[in-house]
Amino acid sequence: MKQLFRQLTAMVISCCFITAAQATTPEEDLKAFQNFYKKRFPNVETTDYINGAYSIDPVGRENWEAIEEFPPYEPFIDEGQAIWEKPFANGKTFKDCFPDGPALGGKYPRWEKEKSMVMTLPLALNNCLEANGEKPMKYKKGPINDILSYIAFESRGQITNVEIPTDDPGALAAYESGKKFYYTRRGQLNFACAHCHLQNAGMILRTEILSPALGHTTHFPVYRSKWGTVGTLHRRFTGCNKQVRAKPFKAHGEEYRNLEYFLTYMSNGLPLNGPGARK
Amino acid sequence: MIGNTKKWIGMAGAISVLAGQFLVSPAIFAEGGNAVAEGKKISFDRKKGNCLACHNIIGAPSPGNIAPALVAMKSRFPKKEDLRMQIWDATIKNPESAMPPFGKHGILSEADFEKVVEYIWTL
Amino acid sequence: MHKKSVLFSSLLVWILGSGLATTSMADEASAEKVKQLIEAADEARKQAASVNGEWRDTGKMIKKAKELLKKGDFVAAAKLANKAAKQGHLGYEQAMSQKDLKMPSYLHYE
Repeated sequence: MKQLFRQLTAMVISCCFITAAQATTPEEDLKAFQNFYKKRFPNVETTDYINGAYSIDPVGRENWEAIEEFPPYEPFIDEGQAIWEKPFANGKTFKDCFPDGPALGGKYPRWEKEKSMVMTLPLALNNCLEANGEKPMKYKKGPINDILSYIAFESRGQITNVEIPTDDPGALAAYESGKKFYYTRRGQLNFACAHCHLQNAGMILRTEILSPALGHTTHFPVYRSKWGTVGTLHRRFTGCNKQVRAKPFKAHGEEYRNLEYFLTYMSNGLPLNGPGARK
Repeated sequence: MIGNTKKWIGMAGAISVLAGQFLVSPAIFAEGGNAVAEGKKISFDRKKGNCLACHNIIGAPSPGNIAPALVAMKSRFPKKEDLRMQIWDATIKNPESAMPPFGKHGILSEADFEKVVEYIWTL
Repeated sequence: MHKKSVLFSSLLVWILGSGLATTSMADEASAEKVKQLIEAADEARKQAASVNGEWRDTGKMIKKAKELLKKGDFVAAAKLANKAAKQGHLGYEQAMSQKDLKMPSYLHYE
């Protein structure tokens, strides 16, 4: 009896702790996240974080602005438009799947209640292809970057506004799992995403300025000089995980989808400005 | 943790039994001055210590500024063992430290780790 | 000078020869032992993966250890398998130690 009582007490206590740990709402998280940067870089306008490291690096910004005069991602936009407009073998086009397209950037990622999962734009595009008997695109390299460049370009100026619907606890759970991913150390080097892009944002790692996480999602896909081409957000996730010597996860698998959901939510209120160009 | 350590010792034993056949005996501890010089090389190596990614070392090329400069180490760590633990796993002292656990996670081999400690201790 | 080098090379031949002899005698036993080490490493890797804690190179190490075992390089194979097993255990431990999310202290909630 005594033991049972002790067990019950333990259960009650651990229960309280669990609720305490999850007590912050997404809105509170967002505020704390954005305030962190306001405090660290008081002279940077919140909307300027869409420019990544260049929002806090005046020297790098000059080089970047010169690059943006002849955007290296331009051919990808044109190619993407051709893909968007080209009919599938069955005569239909992407427009049949996405009547609001091509400016779809601001609609993703989003919680899909019927599927009980976070839907990302690349996954939705591939679902459309498969539904029409076409082969899906690869998620990191190749034509997906063309069509995403076109869609991003058409979506410029839309405001990031990820919603976490309250009528489905799955949505909050997906957000929480993305948040957990973001703050969890992984790999042999033991870094969480937050170590570089929150805790040490603006600091210099060898010769590179660590970019702020705020605004990270607004400018993808990105032409990266290091890649010599345009690449997707999930390709970048993969690269980051490899850099900390963790085994990367599947592009548009559950882990990265939830991460995208959380990370994009953190940039709520910022305008979309993809495709971008980076070093 | 103790259980784990025991397991490693057992495994290390298994390796040395196998290695014994080939008369391989790794020289873990190099001589004093030599260890410092080698430790410096390892500390600067981007694929090994890569200390400069985050720390400044006086006279070193393009260091980062994420973590404190590596100066006056003996006054900051009067006991060499404390410095050793810091490089082994910095999160013991500060759970939020961003420094990779060079010893604990085997980022450096044991021999390299000891040499790095020797070198950093001289700064 | 000449004598010395002859002596040296015969010594070398003897060492290598005896090494090979022991190897071939112990071949099967060693191969079995290394195989077990590799299996243990893969178990450890899977355990880490089950909590999303697998490291980048663990799988590659196991693959390489298998190749080395095939070639009969038991020492190198065993060493690598043990390294991979250690990574698997550390990756699992790393993930488990963070089972409950702790928000960083530098984020300020009002």
